[in-house]
Amino acid sequence: MKFTASREALLKPLQAVIGVVERRQTMPILANVLLVAKDDRVSVTATDLEVELVASMEAEIGGAGEITVSGRKLLDICRALPEQAELAVQLSGEKLSIKSGRSKFTLATLPAADFPTVEDINARQTLALPQATLATLLDKTHFSMAQQDVRYYLNGLLVETDGKYLRAVATDGHRLALCQVQLDGKKMPQQQVIVPRKGVLELQRLMSGEGDVELQLGSNHIRIELDGIRFTSKLIDGRFPEYERVIPQDTSNHLTADRQLLRGALQRTAILSNEKYRGIRLIIRDGGVILQAHNPEQEEAEEELEVSYKGEHIEIGFNVNYLLDALGAIDSDEVILAVVDGNSSCLLQMPGNEDCKYVVMPMRL
Amino acid sequence: MTRTDLRNILHIDMDAFYASVEQRDNPSLRGKPLVVGGGSNRGVVAAASYEAREYGIHSAMPMRDALRRCPDLLRVPPRIGHYKSVSEEIFAIFREFTPLVEGLSLDEAFLDVTDSLALFGSDIEIAKEIKKRVVDTTALTASVGVAPNKLVAKIASDLDKPDGLVVVSAEEIRSTLDPLPVRVIPGIGRKTLARLKEKDIVTVADLRLASDRVLEPIFGRFAQKTRDQASGVDSRPVVSSRPEKSISAEETFDADLTETNAMDRQLMRLAERTANRLRSKDLVAGTVQVKIRQADFTTFTRQRALRPPGNSTDQIFEIVRILLRQWLSEHPGARIRLLGVGGSDLSAAEQRDLFAGDAMPAGSHLDETADKIRDRFGESSVNRARTLDSGQIR
Repeated sequence: MKFTASREALLKPLQAVIGVVERRQTMPILANVLLVAKDDRVSVTATDLEVELVASMEAEIGGAGEITVSGRKLLDICRALPEQAELAVQLSGEKLSIKSGRSKFTLATLPAADFPTVEDINARQTLALPQATLATLLDKTHFSMAQQDVRYYLNGLLVETDGKYLRAVATDGHRLALCQVQLDGKKMPQQQVIVPRKGVLELQRLMSGEGDVELQLGSNHIRIELDGIRFTSKLIDGRFPEYERVIPQDTSNHLTADRQLLRGALQRTAILSNEKYRGIRLIIRDGGVILQAHNPEQEEAEEELEVSYKGEHIEIGFNVNYLLDALGAIDSDEVILAVVDGNSSCLLQMPGNEDCKYVVMPMRL
Repeated sequence: MTRTDLRNILHIDMDAFYASVEQRDNPSLRGKPLVVGGGSNRGVVAAASYEAREYGIHSAMPMRDALRRCPDLLRVPPRIGHYKSVSEEIFAIFREFTPLVEGLSLDEAFLDVTDSLALFGSDIEIAKEIKKRVVDTTALTASVGVAPNKLVAKIASDLDKPDGLVVVSAEEIRSTLDPLPVRVIPGIGRKTLARLKEKDIVTVADLRLASDRVLEPIFGRFAQKTRDQASGVDSRPVVSSRPEKSISAEETFDADLTETNAMDRQLMRLAERTANRLRSKDLVAGTVQVKIRQADFTTFTRQRALRPPGNSTDQIFEIVRILLRQWLSEHPGARIRLLGVGGSDLSAAEQRDLFAGDAMPAGSHLDETADKIRDRFGESSVNRARTLDSGQIR
């Protein structure tokens, strides 16, 4: 294998994939990246056995071939070389040599055949959509995913196709975020996959918001092609809870508030809430809501906010972080809080928009 | 009489607790009318010193009224955290005499010392000793009522404040209560008091002897209970209010376990018992542990955090199963004599779960239903299939 490329050309794919190169090396080869030189292109692959990233670049190929070398060291070398440096990369025997100007590096390798890659994912469906749309789905839901919950199927994001809709749902058992978009054109089959948390966060990092993406859903993998990068993640093998059943339907008590004002009031009141439980009490009555918090040091915060509300007098407690997360994901000027009573879940929505829903369970106060 | 009817109960009430703590800590406040309470004139009195009480000032009185009665009144903002730590010192003394300590507030508790008599002498001696220990440790005084039940003990502690000790034996209950004003009976407030007065019921004796025709319009279905109270009858037990530090279940097996399937069955049963007890107390565990004792009695515990803290059987079982697997890989061929499953780092189940209803594929709804069945039909009325061995399945 032999190719030449500029420092900048090689840096870009290396930086794109380095996030999944294992730091804790369970298998030594996972600290490596796979370099494949073929047909005027060099591709760089990294994997942690859960998420695989492949990025490629144009290069002048002197000889096709493939090999693996330490991803971290290769990136450090490229970074340390001067700008616009030309690199000549060549495999000789079991060593990979990199020459640039008067610098020469010789790296240890492991055989490409030992590098675990995912080839065909046997996609059940392939969707094309704007990258910005996919980014929105993830941004508006990812924060509700569980972290290291023993209910392993919650440690990820549900991606679902259902007729016209592509939907993302995340829940940690205390709150739930749902966002859906309609894709033009064909009707999609019903399909549910759970993308692990790590894959979701890695994917968000890769997206620039420009152009289109191609999304493939298989039964064991999800694959997304964007900006010359191919993202593949294993799926969580489990059944996601039936989320529709926890979205409140009876929402007769509607509170409409200015989103920024409510957010500000919650943030101020939260300063004196219990640091562990983050409990905050909302006293909701005609025309106004009172926010109260106190902590074990007996300090108290209270704020009154004018809102539009006609309904029963309701006192309800929440983990304020859950409300703030939802209000951060909503981007309308006003927000609707639908409450049933002090023991039931509350629904946050944008006025006139059924596509994003945030459900928060109350706390006992 | 059953055991609950005749016990040795102490009701201990610290004298003007918050105010006394402030006077103890700051000599310039001693001997002066003092209240502890909110800063503004709109607040209420949280506690009044005995000097302030001479002006008719009492707790829950609006601060404005208190100032009118005593313009020189000293006001001190409350330091609840500090009172809590003093209270903990006092409660620690109580617990040296009996585990059955039921705290009513920071400065008030019931103690059941029935089973402590053999160790510490009579109930009167215990009461004296506790009073002495409290003064020695905190320089604060307490008033104690000693009686065969909670109702009479509480009334008695109030008869000789401050620094009092009033003992009411079973034989003396009637003669002690009869002359007291009816307001000593719990639940009789200002309105009821006025209505009783209209019927010429002023003392506890009047109440005890009043006819149903008189009491029923006033107390409704609580008429009989009120008469019992006027007779000094009360069978409520003293319930220890000390927060539990951990909840666990363990079992020693008739034959040592060597197969993982059999171990899993037992783990599931124990996880179920532990989770069930957590749920019945509305607690969640932040840490789950498994205890393993081998045939040679060497004992191990392994634990793992549960985030977020939880109390579902599946969550707990899943963790202890993983922990046991890890332990087994370090101890191949182990013969297990005892297994235990426990939850610690307990907290109140404050955050409600979205899926505690019925949306979870396998989980909380099942737990809830199983708990209900067990409450009604007993511990072994419903079992998970995986806790059964093949011989039990037909």
